[in-house]
Amino acid sequence: MGNNLLKALIRTESLSKYYGKGGEIKAVDELNLEVYEGETFGLLGPNGAGKTTTVRLLNCIIKPTNGTAIVNDLDILKDETEVKRITGLLAESPGLYEKLSAQEFLEFMGALYDVPPKILHGRIEDLLKLFSLYDRRDHLLEGYSRGMKQKILIAAAIIHDPPILFLDEPTSMLDPRAALMVKDLIKTLADKAGKTIFICSHILPIVEELCDRIGIISQGRLIALGTIAEIIAQTGTKTLEDAFIAITGGVQEKELLAWREQKAVGS
Amino acid sequence: MVPKWLVIAKNEYNLRLSGIRSIRPYFPYIVIGLLAVYVAFIAPAIVSAFIDELLAFFLSQVAVAMIQILMFLLFIYILILPITYTLRDVQTGQLEIFLAAPIKPSDVLLGEFLGVVPFYAIAVAVVAGFFTAVLNPLGLGLVQIAIIIMVFVLIFFSALWIGSLIAALLRTKFGKASRGKDIGRALSVILVLPLIALMYAIMSGGVLEALANPGTSGIVKTLLSLVPSSWGAEVIISFASNPGDIAAVGVETLIRFGGQITFLVVVLWLGTKVANRAYSLEPITFTASRAKPDGVFYKSIKYLLGGKSSSSLLVSVCKDYGRRLENLSWLVYVVGLVVMLNIFFGDPSSDLEDTLFSLSLMMSPFLATFVVGTGTTREKANLFIFKKAPSGMGKFVKARLLQGLIVVVPIAAAVTVIFTIVLPQITLISLLTNTILVSLRATAFVIFVLGFVLLIPSFSEKSRDRTLHAVINLQITIFTSIGLTIILPILGLDFRKILPNLDLFMGFLYNHLLQTAIISLVGIMLISLGKRKLRRIE
Repeated sequence: MGNNLLKALIRTESLSKYYGKGGEIKAVDELNLEVYEGETFGLLGPNGAGKTTTVRLLNCIIKPTNGTAIVNDLDILKDETEVKRITGLLAESPGLYEKLSAQEFLEFMGALYDVPPKILHGRIEDLLKLFSLYDRRDHLLEGYSRGMKQKILIAAAIIHDPPILFLDEPTSMLDPRAALMVKDLIKTLADKAGKTIFICSHILPIVEELCDRIGIISQGRLIALGTIAEIIAQTGTKTLEDAFIAITGGVQEKELLAWREQKAVGS
Repeated sequence: MVPKWLVIAKNEYNLRLSGIRSIRPYFPYIVIGLLAVYVAFIAPAIVSAFIDELLAFFLSQVAVAMIQILMFLLFIYILILPITYTLRDVQTGQLEIFLAAPIKPSDVLLGEFLGVVPFYAIAVAVVAGFFTAVLNPLGLGLVQIAIIIMVFVLIFFSALWIGSLIAALLRTKFGKASRGKDIGRALSVILVLPLIALMYAIMSGGVLEALANPGTSGIVKTLLSLVPSSWGAEVIISFASNPGDIAAVGVETLIRFGGQITFLVVVLWLGTKVANRAYSLEPITFTASRAKPDGVFYKSIKYLLGGKSSSSLLVSVCKDYGRRLENLSWLVYVVGLVVMLNIFFGDPSSDLEDTLFSLSLMMSPFLATFVVGTGTTREKANLFIFKKAPSGMGKFVKARLLQGLIVVVPIAAAVTVIFTIVLPQITLISLLTNTILVSLRATAFVIFVLGFVLLIPSFSEKSRDRTLHAVINLQITIFTSIGLTIILPILGLDFRKILPNLDLFMGFLYNHLLQTAIISLVGIMLISLGKRKLRRIE
């Protein structure tokens, strides 16, 4: 992809979020990256690396300690409402209104994002059919399985047809069939509808399949950035998994059974 | 575009009525119709039965202070309801939805507030309807009645707005960590205690007696005059003293009523200013709770059980119980309730038998229900850990039973000692007898409640569900307890009649022991059935 010709739709400028006394916990530290228009970008990292914090910062849910980010020419510090309007978010562990039906929940979400009622009803119907939930549209969400809830949350994230989508672990709770459908949806949204998609995940095959470029974050710092081929080449490994382990660190094979040896010594 | 606060208000309203979705469109009409019937017929009919006493009260010396107290109670109740409702099950999941959407926090606050207004308004309409029904026979003018209704509306809006704001702030503060949620649940239990104390004080007549003293009455009036609900109370009393003549109290009414309006405007404005703080996902703290090394208590348990795996199991169960503030708050609640009942309704001339009777009948079921009944089957996932282990269900029941006894019996014994020791002419023997009998009854109830909970478990992490389940358990336990004292003599099992030569207290003691034995046996049977039931749960 000729990055020089593309517009950077998301650009972080030393974006940082520190917690604790004196900011000793660096959830996100001096993050500088660009995500281009129409691109599907993957942010990888182990648990607690700062992926969700980054997404929350870019969606103006929390405020940075230092730095800023520009989302479609809008500053996350100054144009909070407008940034929220042009982004859709599938959060990692979002709360659903379990006492609403799928139809009611999507109506509510559409109204929050000012989707005109004329468009909204048809769109809800289409999305429910797409996710094979149309027949259960009047069932309360409390009776839905985790996968079904995830589908509703994805539908809610795209209900206002935003140009930029943030998907935090989009397929983590889905069965293979639903996961395949979501992957196809993401691909189609990127390829046919020109959406810019920012995916957070630690499921490497998903990222490999969907993302044009990836960034690897660990302990708040961006430690690798590029296409998958570039990152594999940089680390001198053969697969993304090996590259990921090489960058973020892993457990040596001999350590895997060390606990058994210790038991033998004790007994 | 529909205003965002209206979207959120509509959503809140729909959420609260999700249980009756089929009749939701008719709900407002049904409620308005019922309230109209209440205001037009029921309230006047109720009032007419006591009209002379009520009118005499409204024109008495104590009325001003008493109405101030009642209005203050109404204000606090409305304020505290959204707080306890929120704290019981602090949920911040939906917060992310709002914060990611293009909405101002003040719109969220306003929407959440307006969404619940119709439900609280029902309660206020009932109270206001009662007051107007009482005051109407005095010959109040239409304007006076309208102002009285407005007084209630202003108190209601101010209290509910403040309550909603505090609830949102507390949700943000407590909702991000399990520890915070636990603190919230504990607070929701404890917060109710002062209100119950005030209510008991009014019900027992102590407040009326105290207010008959002009000095006390004056202090109460001065203190409460700072609260806006009192300004409304003064308006009502001044109208009652000058029915149909609003001009006589025009200036005072203007000042007091104006004060209420100003207060509402100020709190509304302040609420919108602090709404940003009330809706935030910024972590409050990053300090994770850490377990301390086992202290003397846990070491003693392990030692007493011979350091076997069962001792580790019991210690683990006790730790899981003791580290939840919600559980401890229920203990405080039950003991507080028993103490308050004794203070406000206790008979100073009560004897050993009365004390034993009330503690066995009331305190023991409460303690057993809220200790064993609320936490035993908290999560299905926890149960499956035991089901997976060899002889797991037996270990689970044994550990829960011992944990219940470790908590309930010492507390029951301690409360009994305190309540018995204050009785006149108490001897060491009777003190010991009383303590042992109450402890035995507490043990029996722990067995009974555990059996019942195992047989009809409630798997829910929601505090509201577990409290409801515990209340049902409590009703059954108390019903069983009272039922036995009634049924056994009917069946001829009354030692005072079987052994007529027996001393009256000894007869009571034998009856007590028989009831305790029956409760224990039923409990053992229930445990056995409950174990089977849990084994079958998938």
